[in-house]
Amino acid sequence: MIYTRKSPALLVIGVIMLLWGWLNASGSVDGVQSWLQHSAWSDHQKVEKKYEADLKAAAEKAQATGVPAPEMKMPKSKFDSAKAKQAQLSYIFGGIAAALGLLILLWTPKEGSLDYYLSIFPGMAFILLIAFIVRWGLDPMFANWGSAAKPALGWDFAKIFNLNYVVLGIVIGIVVVNVFRIPDWAANGVRTARFFLKTGVILLGTLYSAAELAQLGMLSVVMIGIFVLGSVWMVLLMGKRMQAGNSMTAVLSAGMGVCGVSATVAASPVVNAKAAEIAYTIGTILVWGVGCMFIFPTIGHLLGMGPVQFGAWAGTGILNSAQVAGAALAFDPKGIETLKVAEIFNITRVLFLPIIVIWLAAWYVKHEAGAEKVNLGNVLISKFPVFVLGFILMFALSTIGVFAPADQYKGKYFDAAKVKEQSLLKENETAALGKELARLREAEGAKALQDYFTANVVNVGKRHATPEDAHQAIADLIANRKETTREQDALLRSIGKLPGLDEGAKKALGNAHKAAWHSSKAIGAFRDWIAWLFAFGLIGLGMQITGAALKQAGGKPLVIGGVVGTVKAVGSLIVVLLFVKEFI
Amino acid sequence: MASNLLQEKSAGPSGAYPAPPGRERREAAFPAGVFRPATLLLCHHGTRGAAAAEALAFELAVPGVTTIIHCLIVPELWAGMQGDDWLNNASTRDAFGDYVENMLENDARRELAAVETRCREMGFAYRSVLRFGDPAKTALAVAAEVDANLVVIGPPRRKGEEGLRSRMDLETLARGLACPLLIAQRT
Repeated sequence: MIYTRKSPALLVIGVIMLLWGWLNASGSVDGVQSWLQHSAWSDHQKVEKKYEADLKAAAEKAQATGVPAPEMKMPKSKFDSAKAKQAQLSYIFGGIAAALGLLILLWTPKEGSLDYYLSIFPGMAFILLIAFIVRWGLDPMFANWGSAAKPALGWDFAKIFNLNYVVLGIVIGIVVVNVFRIPDWAANGVRTARFFLKTGVILLGTLYSAAELAQLGMLSVVMIGIFVLGSVWMVLLMGKRMQAGNSMTAVLSAGMGVCGVSATVAASPVVNAKAAEIAYTIGTILVWGVGCMFIFPTIGHLLGMGPVQFGAWAGTGILNSAQVAGAALAFDPKGIETLKVAEIFNITRVLFLPIIVIWLAAWYVKHEAGAEKVNLGNVLISKFPVFVLGFILMFALSTIGVFAPADQYKGKYFDAAKVKEQSLLKENETAALGKELARLREAEGAKALQDYFTANVVNVGKRHATPEDAHQAIADLIANRKETTREQDALLRSIGKLPGLDEGAKKALGNAHKAAWHSSKAIGAFRDWIAWLFAFGLIGLGMQITGAALKQAGGKPLVIGGVVGTVKAVGSLIVVLLFVKEFI
Repeated sequence: MASNLLQEKSAGPSGAYPAPPGRERREAAFPAGVFRPATLLLCHHGTRGAAAAEALAFELAVPGVTTIIHCLIVPELWAGMQGDDWLNNASTRDAFGDYVENMLENDARRELAAVETRCREMGFAYRSVLRFGDPAKTALAVAAEVDANLVVIGPPRRKGEEGLRSRMDLETLARGLACPLLIAQRT
């Protein structure tokens, strides 16, 4: 069978992308872009104004001194960078798509791997085109409309309903498959969405610090442990009471308890689920999952939850793992802090999966007469999520400092040697610090420091900080005009919050801190790619949520699923609000 | 319903061939010779409605004249049943796909065999068509392929009645067919 469909679609998509790249590079769409990228455009205007003023000043100086004015180039604004990035991505992917599109039109592959791999590109380009449209067009457009309507409505509808690129992408995916159907030429490529989501999770491994992972891992094991085991047990109990049948109850408990459709897929053959039972279970889980994906972020915003709280809640309370990622990104689309938390919960869930499948297999054999025993070892090995090993590998590489210094936190790391000459403290700043140092050395100042350190438990290493430590840290800062150690940075950060500190000194401490901390380019690139991979994957998964599958929700599974799903969502919300703090 | 109207018109036993012992035919819906379909397309998916359609088809078919073509359509909703699973390994997904496919095929084969046995017992020629797709569109395509003289289907399920949500779109079917369509009475 030849998989590659002879269609001009890939070529057309490639040409559209190339055209968009060229329009951006040539500045032909600056008008549209200035509206879409409002804040970047404001930055551009500021940069332009400053450049013009500098140019004028240089010209005047040159005229006064008789020396020719130096050549000046306008610095790149955020707007320029955003356009350049769009142009670059459009050229790269548009070029690839156009070349492969031509190949598909002009060449007929023979049966084999080459044909299969070639057949996936049109669908991938189709999803990517939607991702471009959503991320570069619809997301900022809805944000602008939300802001514009805010004075009239009193609230920002785009923010409250999370009309960002993630939600819009998934909705477009669902609309495409249910209204227009996925074109034949795109079918194979759409299935690659899973691969890209898994790649996103693997890359996510680069973003955690060891402490973060340990804390989140512990939290997720406790919460998932309680709620997974609790909901599996509850479904088994309700299924028995409602006489739902052993295989129905077992498959539903896997789906409701662990990770939704994935758990249903894994457990169905083991518990001999019947066709209709699988359909009811998947329908129920999808209806719940899709509903929660829209409702959770709105509730999260209304309750003022932070990334850790929301990630923990979504990771526990949403039945289906795909919608956990969707809700996390919908809640926090600009950064991926919430996704980081939610994905740890997803990984914990999938690690629980083999154990739950074994439990259900044993339960089924015990309760169903004539049921065949399953090989537990085989189940454990075949259900083990291999991609989690990739995540662990990336985390290990990140921890040993392959991508950024090992002690990086959220992509930022301390490095005194990298402080630029222009970022060293200025004379007025060291003067302000010197004045404050003198004051803090006096008895009253030293006492204020001591009281502050005691009240706020400020430490130096493992011992409590003393006023002398503070004096030394400030004196070193004045002498070096920059921070030299991370310990000094931590202590100076605390001193910066001392009540009554001179504003000039406070500012100097802030600048010294900023100058010593650097963003890792590699980690920044990972964050960007992770956002793209998840956007791509979630649009593709949206294209696999069919109305026909959703419609199967009904009967006893819907009743049991409704009760257990609600208990899980509300219960985990209460636990998160009571016990989970934004401490990571 | 259609079968009611037909029963009102029935005027006694019909059918040129005697039924096998123990499977006596009910009173025919048509008087003998009024309508003798050569090709009767029976859409039957093992539901309660399908059983009613089968009974109606047996009333209308004429042994030695009618070939009952049993059309069993596996609804395309199964294509989306792996939904948005993304956490599983390819082997787990393949195992699930094979499991569902085998189950659906075995169910279908069992259903086809059961209807075939009953047809043979009644003395009707029998053929089967097993397809995957949208019920109405597929039934239309099969009706055209086999040049059906009559299509018999079961009554639509009542709202809330248990079963997979995959219904035959009656309007599509009725508008597209080039032969009469009969919907069996709800039992």
